[in-house]
This record gives sequence, structure tokens and C-alpha cells, in this order.
Amino acid sequence: MIVSRRLLAAMIAWTAAAPGARPAAQVSTTTLSASVSTAAKLNLSTASVSFPDADPDIVPQIPTVGGPVLITAKSRANPGMQVVLTVQAADDLRSGVSLIPASNITWTASGAGFVAGTLSKLAPVTVATWVGSGVRTGTQQLYLRNLWTHPTGTYTVSLLYTLSAP
Amino acid sequence: MTKAVWSGVFTALAVLVFSSQASAQATASGTVTVSASVNAKAKLTLGSGSVTFNDADPDVTPLLTATGAVSVDVKARTSSAANVTLTVQSGGDLTSGSDTIGISNLTWTATGTNFVAGTMGTTAVSLGSWTGGGSVAGTQTYRLVNSWNYTTGTYTATITYTLTAP
Repeated sequence: MIVSRRLLAAMIAWTAAAPGARPAAQVSTTTLSASVSTAAKLNLSTASVSFPDADPDIVPQIPTVGGPVLITAKSRANPGMQVVLTVQAADDLRSGVSLIPASNITWTASGAGFVAGTLSKLAPVTVATWVGSGVRTGTQQLYLRNLWTHPTGTYTVSLLYTLSAP
Repeated sequence: MTKAVWSGVFTALAVLVFSSQASAQATASGTVTVSASVNAKAKLTLGSGSVTFNDADPDVTPLLTATGAVSVDVKARTSSAANVTLTVQSGGDLTSGSDTIGISNLTWTATGTNFVAGTMGTTAVSLGSWTGGGSVAGTQTYRLVNSWNYTTGTYTATITYTLTAP
């Protein structure tokens, strides 16, 4: 009886180890690749803002109607690289032949990485900076310096916001 | 063996997904149109609401000088080429009961950019004029011809100042 059991065990062990008992193990490799490139997406809560008329003695700095611009900046950048949001005026504020220098527009800002500044038509001015990838939100409240010397008129200017993720 | 293969594949995938890649800078942009309304305004501030001449001997003081100069603060906002004007006008002659002193006996000298001296009348007389908007300050010192022919009394007249910014 003991002999029979040992024989049976030996046969099972041999069957399991025999090459013909099951398919041979086959190792295959598949190379998976995923491309993660830099990306940037900018969302501004409004496409237009306006400054109402006001008495320069009472309101020396006019805020825009409707409050600040809400800015959402999504960026994917290389590690350690600085993501930058800038704004630049296309020109001075113009009303026919009359103009108000773009530098008369300033802003305050809220949100991590956002900074206050003064608009320029000559060069981009930093609105916010961050390091690395992420989704960031903040607000920018624009103000117009209100002077008696501003010629009357309805002025317009375009502001170009640029988000760069290196 | 199978476990080892999948483990290797996941490791490679993870490396690919989370590894940084040197790629071109990504940018996104947005535009905000800014408009500003600048309307015409005029603000006039007089340093005093009354002017007084003290009595004097006409032979000694043929031309009386008011006890104090009137400071005149002009603020105007208009188009660049528009003419801002400041005028004065008396409601009538100086009167004391039924007695009168002709208002043309009242003259003034002035200081300040583009303020001018003049003689009072019952129609508007220029006290100053400027081109374009801005803020300017000056003074006006009234003088009254002193005559033996004046009937005694306390004479008064009301002078109206009008600042116009078209």
C-alpha cells in the first residue's frame, strides 16, 4: 500500500514536470509608450471689460464694471520649469485721435502666483507665475487711472493674455 | 513567471507615463477688449463766498482793493482741442437800497495760467480760458473805483462764475 502511494506520487510529479504535460512557458514583451507633452490652456471669464465714467476727485482709480476677471490657467510643463502668464496691450486706449496711455491701466490680483502690475503696450507684463504643471485660478481686477486731463471719448484697447508652459 | 512579466510591463508603463519629456514650449492665449467712457466734466471751486471792500478816502485810495483775493480752482474734462471757459457776470449794479454804484466800477486782477484781468459787467466777462482738459488754479483780486460821488451805504452785488467744458 505504501509502495503504491509512493508510486502514484512519483507518477504525478513526473507528469507535472514532463514537457508534454502542459504548454511550454512563453515570455513576450510589449513596449507601451505614452507621450506626455507640454500643454497650455487659458480661460478668461469674460471677453470684454469696461470702465465707467467717474469724477476724478471722487474715484481716482476706476474699477471695471462687473468686478475682476477670473482666470483659469491649465498647464503641463517640464519638471521645475516656470509657467508664465503675461498680458500686453495691443496699443494705447484710443478714441479717434485721442489716446490714454496703456500704462494708465493697473491691476490687483488674487490667487497663488498672481501679482499686481501695470499694463504696457511695449512688452508683456507678468500676471502670474508657477512652477511645474497644474491647474491654477486667480482674479485680476483692472483699474483705470482717472485724470482730468483725459480727453473725452469712448476708448478701447485689446489686451492679449499669453500662457507659456516650457 | 507571468507575474514577473506583467510587473515589468507595468513598471515600463509607469516610467513612460511619469517620466518627463523635453518637448517644445506650449502656449495658450486669450484676448480681453477694454472700453472706457470719459465724459465731459467741469468743477469750479471758489475760495471765498464773499468779498469785502473797506471804506477809504477817495483822494488817498482812489482804487479800493478787496480785503482778500479769491482763489479759483478750475477742473475740466473735455476733448483735446475744446475751449474751456470761465466767465463772471454780475446780477446788476452794486446796490444799497435805492442807491447804486455802476458795476463797471468793479475790476479785478488775476494770477494763474490763462487767468485774465477784466471789468465786471451784467453780461458774461472772461476770467480765463484754456484748451483741453486739466486742472488749474488762480486768484482773482477785486478792485473798486472809489469816488466822492458815491452815496453812503453798504452796497452789495452778486457775481456768478460759470465754467464751461464743452
